[in-house]
Amino acid sequence: MQNASLESVFYSQKNHISPPFLSPSSSDSLFSPSPERHRVSVATNSGKRSPLNRFNNYQPALHPLRCTVELKQQMATEEAAQIQDPRIAGISSSIRVIPDFPKPGIMFQDITTLLLDPKAFKDTIDLFVERYKGKDISVVAGIEARGFIFGPPIALAIGAKFVPMRKPNKLPETQKFPYKLVSCKEGNVIRVYIASREVISEKYSLEYGTDIMEMHVGAVQPGERALVVDDLIATGGTLCAAIKLLERVGVHVVESACVIELKELKGRERLVDKSLFVLISST
Amino acid sequence: MFAAENGLKGDPRLQAISKAIRVVPHFPKPGIMFQDITTLLLDHKAFKDTVDIFVDRYRDMGISVVAGVEARGFMFGPSVALAIGAKFVPLRKPRKLPGEVISEEYVLEYGTDCLEMHVGAVQPGERALVIDDLVATGGTLSAAIRLLERMEAEVVECACVIGVPEVKGQCRLNGKPLYILVEPRQIDNRC
Repeated sequence: MQNASLESVFYSQKNHISPPFLSPSSSDSLFSPSPERHRVSVATNSGKRSPLNRFNNYQPALHPLRCTVELKQQMATEEAAQIQDPRIAGISSSIRVIPDFPKPGIMFQDITTLLLDPKAFKDTIDLFVERYKGKDISVVAGIEARGFIFGPPIALAIGAKFVPMRKPNKLPETQKFPYKLVSCKEGNVIRVYIASREVISEKYSLEYGTDIMEMHVGAVQPGERALVVDDLIATGGTLCAAIKLLERVGVHVVESACVIELKELKGRERLVDKSLFVLISST
Repeated sequence: MFAAENGLKGDPRLQAISKAIRVVPHFPKPGIMFQDITTLLLDHKAFKDTVDIFVDRYRDMGISVVAGVEARGFMFGPSVALAIGAKFVPLRKPRKLPGEVISEEYVLEYGTDCLEMHVGAVQPGERALVIDDLVATGGTLSAAIRLLERMEAEVVECACVIGVPEVKGQCRLNGKPLYILVEPRQIDNRC
């Protein structure tokens, strides 16, 4: 109980209380939820013309339409305490599901249809910006490639820099011809090092095999406060790799932010004690 | 056309944008002076100015589609789309987009590559903008234009942060105008 903190920005009434948790000085500050807990049933497609109508195989993405607030373990067992921001419905219904992509059995959450809906896309960015603006976040790290779509607009709006977290060998690096050698003598042994790389790498596991994520070392400074952004969290492996890269160079990752969470893949648990915020959670 | 010759002559923002771009020699291979825009993204003011210049130009052109080329086009396109109220359409490498797509092959220095777009992302008659970080030969942009035109959209212009001077004399791709903010630099004087 002492570690439980429930922060929510999704109150329909205007004067919601802004959570203090993102300020450097707060530890496990508690934010008491409103004693009023009621489930709000939200209309799905309001019948307005949607770009999705033009697509084949369209299925509404996620049932029910609920936002997920940051939950610690104790709160996870409680039912639907959330009060949903009215913008969530439009965002959720704009995401289409493609069955059997990239392989049979997988229901792919396709955010490209969200990007075709200017209001839904703007609302998505606004919801993140409202949460992170004024919280002393100087870095927004976006994971290639769909994190590149959501991250920069958020970074621009909150006054932060944008740092791309990329697949291997994409980030340019000075080749240092001739190699810059550094030598140090340890007893009778002289060790020679090539000057340190500009890019650091982190290996992470996929369902089958591994992948590598890279970041420019000089893009961030120790002590900076960062947000990691991606379109979706599944197993959490990719997000964990991004967090590790930033932490290796002394950055404090305040939170990870995703549009969608695939709850059954337990990415939140893989993040352990790292904070996660999502707009839409699928069960 | 270059921004400096088209209404933004002497605009201090352009100089700051140019300076914010890092030149990495011999990447990805010897002889290439790579124009690294990641340093531009670290400079909030310069990044914002980049987006603002594009937004100011395209805001009143009735553009309903901004198409961005993977992956660096994704870093600029969405912000422009959001500001002008247009939809954003990602143009991607093969097999990344789920569902029904159309593909367009284009020529590289050695071999070919392929760009894909979702069927149904754009409607006939829509006015579109194509965005990428840099234009060199124009091969990628030409493929992007062809994809949009195959869906009967009208490509109004292609916009790039950086444009190689060779394109200057012929600032047209498939007959489409090209708008560029800065030229590439040869040497990074901040080494």
